[in-house]
Amino acid sequence: MAIAEESIITLEEERRGGPHPLAGKEMMGAEMVIQVLADQGVDMIFGYSGGAILPTYDAIFRYNAEHAEKEIRLVVPANEQGAGFMAAGYSRSTGRPGVFLVTSGPGATNCVTPIRDCAADSIPAILICGQVPRAAMGTDAFQEAPVYSIMQSCAKHTFLVLDPEELEATIRTAFRIATTGRPGPVVIDIPKDVQNWMGKFRGEGYLNLRGYEKRLAKLRARRVEEESMADFFRMLEQSSRPLIYAGGGVINGEAATELREFAETLGIPGVTTLMGIGALDTTGDLSMHMLGMHGTAFANYAVEDCDFLIAVGARFDDRVAGKVAEFAPNARNIAHLDIDAAEIGKVKNVTWSYVGDTGRCLDDMVRHAKRTGFKKDFSAWRKHCAELRAAHPLNWDRDSPNIQPYYVIEELNRITKGEAIVATGVGQHQMWAAQYFDFKRPRTWLTSGSMGTMGFGLPAAIGAKMANPDKIVIAVDGDGSIRMNLGELETATTYGAGVKVLLLNNQGDGMVRQWQRLMFDERFSGTDKTMHKKDFVKAAQADGYEFAERLNIDEIDKVPKMLKRFVEHDGPAFLEVMIDPAALVMPMVGPGKSYREMIVGEWIVPREQGAPAAQMDGKTKADLF
Amino acid sequence: MTSTNGATLSAPSATKHVLGVLVENHHGVLSRIAGLFAARGFNIDSLTVSATEDSSMSRMTVTLCGDTAVIDQIRKQLDKLAEVVTVEDLTEQGAHIERELVLVKIAYPREKRTDLLEIAATFKARSVDMTPETIAFEISGNQEKIDNFLTMITQDARIVEIARSGVVALVRGPGGLRKSFYED
Repeated sequence: MAIAEESIITLEEERRGGPHPLAGKEMMGAEMVIQVLADQGVDMIFGYSGGAILPTYDAIFRYNAEHAEKEIRLVVPANEQGAGFMAAGYSRSTGRPGVFLVTSGPGATNCVTPIRDCAADSIPAILICGQVPRAAMGTDAFQEAPVYSIMQSCAKHTFLVLDPEELEATIRTAFRIATTGRPGPVVIDIPKDVQNWMGKFRGEGYLNLRGYEKRLAKLRARRVEEESMADFFRMLEQSSRPLIYAGGGVINGEAATELREFAETLGIPGVTTLMGIGALDTTGDLSMHMLGMHGTAFANYAVEDCDFLIAVGARFDDRVAGKVAEFAPNARNIAHLDIDAAEIGKVKNVTWSYVGDTGRCLDDMVRHAKRTGFKKDFSAWRKHCAELRAAHPLNWDRDSPNIQPYYVIEELNRITKGEAIVATGVGQHQMWAAQYFDFKRPRTWLTSGSMGTMGFGLPAAIGAKMANPDKIVIAVDGDGSIRMNLGELETATTYGAGVKVLLLNNQGDGMVRQWQRLMFDERFSGTDKTMHKKDFVKAAQADGYEFAERLNIDEIDKVPKMLKRFVEHDGPAFLEVMIDPAALVMPMVGPGKSYREMIVGEWIVPREQGAPAAQMDGKTKADLF
Repeated sequence: MTSTNGATLSAPSATKHVLGVLVENHHGVLSRIAGLFAARGFNIDSLTVSATEDSSMSRMTVTLCGDTAVIDQIRKQLDKLAEVVTVEDLTEQGAHIERELVLVKIAYPREKRTDLLEIAATFKARSVDMTPETIAFEISGNQEKIDNFLTMITQDARIVEIARSGVVALVRGPGGLRKSFYED
């Protein structure tokens, strides 16, 4: 592939006003890799060494010896998957791409899950894999895997560096692809002999991806046209119940400030998706919290009631839209703002759309409203939303003698007050954390939304804590999820990453059990863990946790004090809380169902009497997921 | 794939589309694009790839059936790939030239040889190999012409083997994919 022509790619960040100070220097390929990483501002690499990546690990060691004031910190996990999720936690909490570095074969294949996870949630990340030398490729060499073809199906983009002259440009281009347009992970596979190659460092240059660059330039230049803007405001004028539906695109696109300004200026309430949590301040008046399968009842009622839905950086995912034809059934108009043209009309037809930078679009809308003096009184609708919130709040059995998971999170939230960074695994605890924590800011809620990867929480929390040492970082995990990457418990103590690991133990895979209860006549196939022998507290102690405690299921009275000690402990802390194994995630819109069929369980007040009971129709379960 | 209105690739509203795709001439691009079709469940009828007048680019021609929403989604997904230079739906654009090259070997009863050669002449197919039992024809044209030819010759003969190149296509007139990419 040719090196890009300047005339096609004009890269503002390349204009450093002179050549790179090291331009022209003879270097090893591996040294070039590390130099470009340093140039890109990388201050931390998560990874695990091995045969085919040795030269690059050696280059980090030597780089750090020469740059004691500006070291690239190396964080070594128990398993490469852990490195990937640490990089994801770093990226999700800071917005800067996380970098992970692994060896060939198993090192690389262990990273398939985090790469797919990042791609599915549009998280920028860079994975560099060692590969067997070029001459050995294709011979089934030791620790050889077809990384290029495996990763191609999972990542935003994949490079295999066969021409060492293109190595440094490839690394730079990888960062560019990862962080522009709809962000995503980029994989770079580097044969060992390319790492060992000696050549002249140029200190500049990108690969020629002219189509990508042209589309990006168009995307960046795009503004809402006058006529289109007028159409949008006509729809808003005709609406009396507009509702924002904000997704992860608002977080990834750094558009939360603009979204809040838009909501406040025009007086429009909003719901967020699981990935959009933090886009609006959940403690604010305009926040109706999360919609969807396990959204709050009041959020889902607001979606039912709205007459104009404004989707921002959201994609009508099956967990949100349920039965697509009946999603937002009273919305006469739907507007969709997104960076990705392929999302417009993919699932649901919309009446107005904008493809580009959503933050700038919202900002232009606010300016337009101010300039034209647009005024529309939505106070009756806001009052209606406030009433929904007051009448149908989240709730649970507050008189139960057993510790309820909701209670633990509600009490923890009293301490952290929406300021902590929270990472989760996948399952019931994930949904409880999404429902019962407050989030005042974007990038404080780290969860595997699209892929739903169990084991995400602990390593993601470690990566986030290392990137944000001054913030409280909590990993809320379940006993199923934490087992998946339990080796990373030790990584936190090794590096002194003061994460707070809260394990809500219900002795099984609670979410799957919930589905089995509702749709499979309580046949708990493969999900019961009451016979499992693991003593998690002892495991944490063995891994060096000075704070490692357990609360038994009936020790409700001890919860507030224990949580306070847990959060205030200086350093990594581990707390296992035995929770009621019968606790359910409610409300629930069953897979493929409409919001009208939402079940609310025993403790949330439904809007209509005679709402469907807590048992789902077994006949419709077959292919729904 | 199910689209907005529940339409699928086999829906009655499905029509044939020809996509012209210019890609960076880089190893692995073909598998990336083929992988996209496989992963998203898009069925394609044919896919060809070749060098172009610009050595830095390759050209792919993809023919597939689907309704407008499905084709639009495929085009947008292709447009997201970093190594795709440009994608155009030649069918949507209107006039285009479309050809496929076919080599077909038939086994025939000796008394039908003259008839078969007459049919071939009518369709401007060339006989490129002949044995007492078999004839190999070369024919190029649009798919309709080729289908008609194959229907005619199989009245009196049996196909021993057939190799089809897949469709290649160009925009009619002075325009072209590369030109519109640089001038647009």
